[in-house]
Amino acid sequence: MTRRRAGKTLAFVFVSILALIWLVPIIMMLVVSFMPPEQRAPRFGGLLISGVSLRNYETIFADTEVIRHFINSAAVTIPSVALVVIISSLAAFALARLKFLARDIWFYLLIMTLMLPIPTLVVPIFQINKALGLNDNYLGLILPYTALGVPFAIVILRSFFAGFPIEIEEAARLDGCTRFGIYWRIMMPVSWPAVAVVIIWQFMTSWNEFILALVTMNSVDVKPLTLVPLVYSGQFLMRPGPMFAILTLITLPVIVVYYLMQRFMVSGLTAGAVRG
Amino acid sequence: MSRNWLIDNQGLFFMAPAMILFAVFVLYPILYIFGASLYDWDGINQAIYVGAQNYIEMFTNDRSFAISIRNSLYWTVLTIFPQMILGFTLASILTSGIPFQNVFRIIFFMPAIVSPVVLGIVWQRIYAPFGGLLADLGREIGAHFLIQPYIADPKIAIFSTIFVNVWQWTGFSMLMYVAGLQGLSQEVLSAAQVDGAGTRQRIQYIILPMLRHVHLTLILLGVIGTLQTFALVYMLTKGGPNHATEMLPTYIFQKAFTLQSMGYASAVAVVLLLIALSASIFQVRVLGSRFTIGG
Repeated sequence: MTRRRAGKTLAFVFVSILALIWLVPIIMMLVVSFMPPEQRAPRFGGLLISGVSLRNYETIFADTEVIRHFINSAAVTIPSVALVVIISSLAAFALARLKFLARDIWFYLLIMTLMLPIPTLVVPIFQINKALGLNDNYLGLILPYTALGVPFAIVILRSFFAGFPIEIEEAARLDGCTRFGIYWRIMMPVSWPAVAVVIIWQFMTSWNEFILALVTMNSVDVKPLTLVPLVYSGQFLMRPGPMFAILTLITLPVIVVYYLMQRFMVSGLTAGAVRG
Repeated sequence: MSRNWLIDNQGLFFMAPAMILFAVFVLYPILYIFGASLYDWDGINQAIYVGAQNYIEMFTNDRSFAISIRNSLYWTVLTIFPQMILGFTLASILTSGIPFQNVFRIIFFMPAIVSPVVLGIVWQRIYAPFGGLLADLGREIGAHFLIQPYIADPKIAIFSTIFVNVWQWTGFSMLMYVAGLQGLSQEVLSAAQVDGAGTRQRIQYIILPMLRHVHLTLILLGVIGTLQTFALVYMLTKGGPNHATEMLPTYIFQKAFTLQSMGYASAVAVVLLLIALSASIFQVRVLGSRFTIGG
């Protein structure tokens, strides 16, 4: 018993030290963003600062259109999350609970998308957006993000729906509930752990997406936050403070969303695992 | 008659939005790159049909392409296995009931949710030869081996980049293993204990084989992740120095949008697509429809 406790203590010390090292880059991002502008040369990559100041944040709000870029990111991310939840849950419901023409073929086709590296599609999506007049337009990102996010969401939701007891569905059918009613009024309300996983994942990928944004959004007015470090890199290159304040601002929303939703993450993933 | 058909197949209505998006933004683009890869085209002027010329050029006379392929191999092997080993170790510890295990899980997973753009810039300051974290630390404590041209030396730049990637994604492997471990049958595990299996035997003969789906899923996601890598490399090294850290996606981007060779970029994209497709067919053959996220 004591040997077991010693083992646990050792394990605790090991993960504690590793966790501290693990966090260094994130801590660095925060610390440098609070560095007083007087401090010209940050030492230890900026891990040691001579005081705490909010001046970098004042600078970026005063000198850049950071709020506009923040809104741009939200205007792309939120619709893509909503669309992915709606479109993929409809499809996942059909794939899990309905019989229809070529069902399995559709599923495999969609799953294949999961394995598609986005950079292969950059050239054609750029050309499609050009043809549809969607470059420099939020829709030029919302639609491809949704299309590319749907397959993963379907995998998660389909296995969740598949585990739903058939008896309840049959009872609802006898009471005159339509297929859509079963999906909307019975399945969706109890599927929040899986929906939470989908929301976190889609929020993260849309908010952090880079390569499509880089080629689609050329006008500064519509650029999302991830492109901001490039836009201002000339201006801020010599000044890590404001740059790292922007980096912190890019990171904050994903951390918040993850923190709010993370308790569903393992249960949502496990549910997918059990039924596959 | 057709009314009945529609009712029997009403699943198609549920599928329709997903299928339309799939057709426009996945299927059409795939056909598109196959077509475009046969042309010499700058994206603006009339395209000139060149047949297989782009492919011949790529495989016989393109050093950057060869480097990207080599780097992808390095990247695949050097991220997947360290991540799996470390991820499994962490997951075992963080499901054993030590204090604050949820906090630790959040900490290790955190880099996975941060934009690679952000991480690229932060790690530039960690690797910087002057005022960088590692170099300053090396000078301060006299550990001079820490002072290295991490991303400036073409010989080691790719490994420095891969290191960041391992750091970023280990927490994801950990979380998959946590989900997998929690799904394991407790009966089998306690039966093994009753039969006198030691910790090591239990891990080797029971736990690891039972987590086969997690291993395979992580390997596949690792391959796909490698083939997607763009933002981290673009921000950290821009594919340099002298193409030393070039990956297929950064090369496609450079060809298409810096050098305006849309046809050639499409040919590289076709190769990338075929590699990804083979990996996923392999996955379906090995796992069948039991494609799982988490175990």
